Amino acid sequence: MSVAQPGVERRLLAGLVAAAVAIAFADSSIVVLALPELYGQFHTTIEGVAWVVTAYNVAVAVTALGLVLLVHRFNAAWVMAAGLVVFLGASIACALAGYLEFLIGARVVQGTGAALLLVGSLPVLGALTGSVGAGRRLWILAGTFGLAVGPALGGVLTEAFSWRAIFAFQAPVAALGLLALLHSHARAVAEEGWRESLVRTLPANVCLGLLFGALVGALFLAVLLVISVWGYSPIAGAAIVSALPLAAIAARPLERRLPRLIAVCGGAMLLSGGLVGLALLPSASVGFAVWSLALCGAGLGLAIPVLSDTALDESSGMTRSGTLTVGARHVGLVLALALIAPLLASKVPAAGDRALLKATAVLLDAPVGLDKKVPVALDLRGAFDSAQAGETPDLAKPFDEHGAKHDPALAATRNRLVGTIEATITRASRSSFFVCALFAAAALLVAVVFRRRVVS
Amino acid sequence: MKGRLTFALAILIVLLASGLALVAAELVSGALNEPAPKIANPCEPRPGRTGGIDTTIQRVVLDGLDGAACRLHTTREELVLSLGGGGGLSPHHWTEQQLDAALRAGLLQSVDMAEQRGDIPGFLVPAIHSAIKKIPIEQLIRGGLSLQDLLGRIGQ
Repeated sequence: MSVAQPGVERRLLAGLVAAAVAIAFADSSIVVLALPELYGQFHTTIEGVAWVVTAYNVAVAVTALGLVLLVHRFNAAWVMAAGLVVFLGASIACALAGYLEFLIGARVVQGTGAALLLVGSLPVLGALTGSVGAGRRLWILAGTFGLAVGPALGGVLTEAFSWRAIFAFQAPVAALGLLALLHSHARAVAEEGWRESLVRTLPANVCLGLLFGALVGALFLAVLLVISVWGYSPIAGAAIVSALPLAAIAARPLERRLPRLIAVCGGAMLLSGGLVGLALLPSASVGFAVWSLALCGAGLGLAIPVLSDTALDESSGMTRSGTLTVGARHVGLVLALALIAPLLASKVPAAGDRALLKATAVLLDAPVGLDKKVPVALDLRGAFDSAQAGETPDLAKPFDEHGAKHDPALAATRNRLVGTIEATITRASRSSFFVCALFAAAALLVAVVFRRRVVS
Repeated sequence: MKGRLTFALAILIVLLASGLALVAAELVSGALNEPAPKIANPCEPRPGRTGGIDTTIQRVVLDGLDGAACRLHTTREELVLSLGGGGGLSPHHWTEQQLDAALRAGLLQSVDMAEQRGDIPGFLVPAIHSAIKKIPIEQLIRGGLSLQDLLGRIGQ
């Protein structure tokens, strides 16, 4: 490993490489807040647009797991460089995508590049920071923070510019990572050769996979709920979901002081509790949502670093163990997405119908004129129909068009009715959140059963 | 060292307790209750407002919708959402003719109920019945007919 830059320059180079790692992890969830905009632009189905998220995670999982038995034969710096080039090109392609199939294809390529950059970056960061341990810690920090901050970052970029800005933003991060890698001469990092078996890292990786599956609830479902059902703008939604990364960062000092097994078990319990909190949301309550997301974030900040530390087993080879853990995490994400997507697809339309019926009941019983009741109800039906075609329903519009701004009784009815609809549809996500909580509970079980291997 | 560990464990216990407090607060806020309102059975009478001509007409129309929904084995809300050719929530099992007949029958019945409550004078009932058989029924339900229109039709 020939890395001879002065300290400050080396830290800067390590920071740029870590930023590329963070963005590759963030990419698992970064487009979630842009899904409604993508849906509207490409005139597709829910399943179609969901592939923009799923394709990336499947590609990372398949590529990483496919490389587990091969990656030790390659030079890690070259693996990372190849990953950065592929990721950079695919990010530009995603930003320029003119139709959905092209975007999904580019996301597959992007996921392949991400897997290569993630597995190659571990030894590179070790070389740049001067020790394997410091490189591993930086990789874990970048991964945890990147995953947690993904939706909020995507939300801000989508609202400030457009969904294309998400991918346009990633390209320079990848380019800077590539320049840092080339400038660092870390490409001299040699291949690791065959090492001890990775079997002993399996329990920690199973835990990580399960926890990443659980995070689908906090990173995907909660975000969609806040934006698509509660009607917050992407930036406002990003502010709400930022409770998760902030709590994850706040929990880091606590994680370092706790015994490792307690940190893992406590983290899994907090994540599970936060997800139960999201499942039991009684209405569109930002307070309860922030509270729940903060618990999820604290759980993430406690459990993931310890498990990552165990999964990245130096004696088994950093690149190999990194490859396995990247694959395991994304398998967990894909598995949870595969379970939750059909569950949600079956629950939401029925909840929408129930919400519309309740809204009509509120309207018919409201102290407003007959000339407003039925027309507003029918316009609400139109708003729901357009939402099913991919738009976020504007529930206030039918009221405003019939004079709610000057009719206090109609305005009061609107406010009551919007709350009723949001509460009804919010509950449609309940079973999906419970499934995610079960993932976290399963991780807790694995951690307890394999406690020696999980924290060794 | 031991003090730091105890402090860290105490914080973890507080965090876990806050998770339990969250769930308790949500349950107290009605997390397990179905959000109001409940969809009423249209075949059972429900309380309505009285007083004033407009309020009486509105109650007659709403009770008429209940009667029609009861006849068509659906809810008042689903019936309303099926108006205007939008198709409603799900494919319904009635034809336009059956809907028209059910609405008129429901309205005739609700006029009789209004008479029994004393909301409508008895001498007007035959004329209103006659008007209900002639008026464009959906226009009435959408509130597109004014009282003047209605009185004009009763006079015809």
